[in-house]
Amino acid sequence: MANVNWRTINIDALDPDSPANFDLTSLAPSVAPVSTADVQSLASQIRQLLRGGDNEGALQGALENPPYGADDKGKDIHLATVIEILQSIRQSDMSPILSRIYSAPGGTEALDVLMKYIYKGMAQTSATGTARNVTPQPTGFSQIHARGGGEGGGQAMSVLLSWHEKLVEIAGPGSIVRVMTDRRTV
Amino acid sequence: MAQPEVHHLFHHPIADHSFSADRQLLAVARESNVDLFKRNGSKFQLADELKGHDKTVTGVDIAPKSGKIVTCSQDRNAYVWEPSPDGWKPTLVLLRINRAATFVRWAPSETKFAVGSGARLIPVCYFEEEDNWWVSKHLKKPIRSTITTVAWHPNSVLLAAGSTDGHARVFSSFIKGVDERPEPSAWGERLPFNTVCGEFLNNTAGWVHSVAFSPSGNALAFAAHDSSLTVVYPSAPEQPPRAVISITTQLLPFMSLVWSSEDEIIAAGYDCQAYRLQGSEQGWQLAGSLETKGRPGVAHREESALNMFRQMDLKGKTTDDTKLDTVHQNTISTIRVYEEAGGQVRKISSSGVDGRVVVWSL
Repeated sequence: MANVNWRTINIDALDPDSPANFDLTSLAPSVAPVSTADVQSLASQIRQLLRGGDNEGALQGALENPPYGADDKGKDIHLATVIEILQSIRQSDMSPILSRIYSAPGGTEALDVLMKYIYKGMAQTSATGTARNVTPQPTGFSQIHARGGGEGGGQAMSVLLSWHEKLVEIAGPGSIVRVMTDRRTV
Repeated sequence: MAQPEVHHLFHHPIADHSFSADRQLLAVARESNVDLFKRNGSKFQLADELKGHDKTVTGVDIAPKSGKIVTCSQDRNAYVWEPSPDGWKPTLVLLRINRAATFVRWAPSETKFAVGSGARLIPVCYFEEEDNWWVSKHLKKPIRSTITTVAWHPNSVLLAAGSTDGHARVFSSFIKGVDERPEPSAWGERLPFNTVCGEFLNNTAGWVHSVAFSPSGNALAFAAHDSSLTVVYPSAPEQPPRAVISITTQLLPFMSLVWSSEDEIIAAGYDCQAYRLQGSEQGWQLAGSLETKGRPGVAHREESALNMFRQMDLKGKTTDDTKLDTVHQNTISTIRVYEEAGGQVRKISSSGVDGRVVVWSL
């Protein structure tokens, strides 16, 4: 006993009431696991709608089936699909499409999902932007390169920002709060 | 609709407030003290201060019949204050918790009270005649996180609790020798202490701010931080509920709610105003705000050109937009029933971060 450093004992592991011993899965709503292949096939179906010019149907389909149970790769595929749809819809069509989705049954849920993807998309574009900035450029043109990357991200960001503005007009700040609160991440 | 009665007491947040049954006394949690205000005509005047806690007071409740005041605080203590000829006499209650107490409410029977705490348990406290001492029994399982709010069923045995683990739960707090054996209800038949009669989670698992039983006790409503309000109608003991209706709003989250009748809930929170929600087992919807639009004093007056240019010169803008056009100027943290007649609530009171207590007619 003498050589046990009692200051480093993890007392939480010994206390049955400690939060370290909780089964945390019971706290979050259960989500069914989704395989990456399923996400991929859904993405190709949605792309088909998109090619057929049915932007609204594509958006609705993408928002109704968020792959909460997928792994990171599956979630990234679905994010790319949603962003592609968002970028293909003209600014003047945004509000009418959003109000139609909102008034449909389960519409608030769908708009909450859209809000999640908008925020995730914003996080994504800025992350890739910085990633490009840190790539070492032996030619010394790193600055120009970084600026180019930033502008590309900026365009994607401006699409997301205008979607965000239109969405808040319809779904209200409640939808933002739900994105922050929800344990089912996209 | 009558104008709301606004009492701006001080410039501090009000964590909790409570009126006595005759509505002459108002207890307000202010920092580490509880201020007692007495009604004087149409105003409330500071009459007494209950000093005893040494950290922020988080809950205060006046028992309607006995007039005893219970307070709880982040210093992990609760006191029961009784009126005596030489002022209010505090009695320390042994809560046996190692985290802050967050919320306290008397049971309708007034023989016991429940305290929410950060220690993942609910001390249910009752008076032990033999030892002349308030003792507590802990509701523990299956609480996973801080209890933010508790609410009593009219039978004084069932207790609803909302927690930061996203669950609203219904427990039995039956204590032998203190409580009458309760009538069997949809929540349960045999109810030994710490029976879990219901455990509810909404879709997003946002943490729960407020819970309340309907006047009959046959429905439970809870408001969570995902701006939603969920109403649960139980069917029978050990059975899934008959209906769980969850409505997501466009508003900011509700902090507090009360049932004004079986088919109406008043909820208020971060939007600084109270909202009316109506519905039944078939469905619930938001029915609008309690604020009367265009109240005098807040409505835009016609500005003179001179005044407009003067404001632009002094402040760089023409209208003073530092004031919200709601009665409360900050988050509403508590709403309570103020006056009720024949099972129908006529008036409610609200208090918030802006130091105001407001009485609303429904």
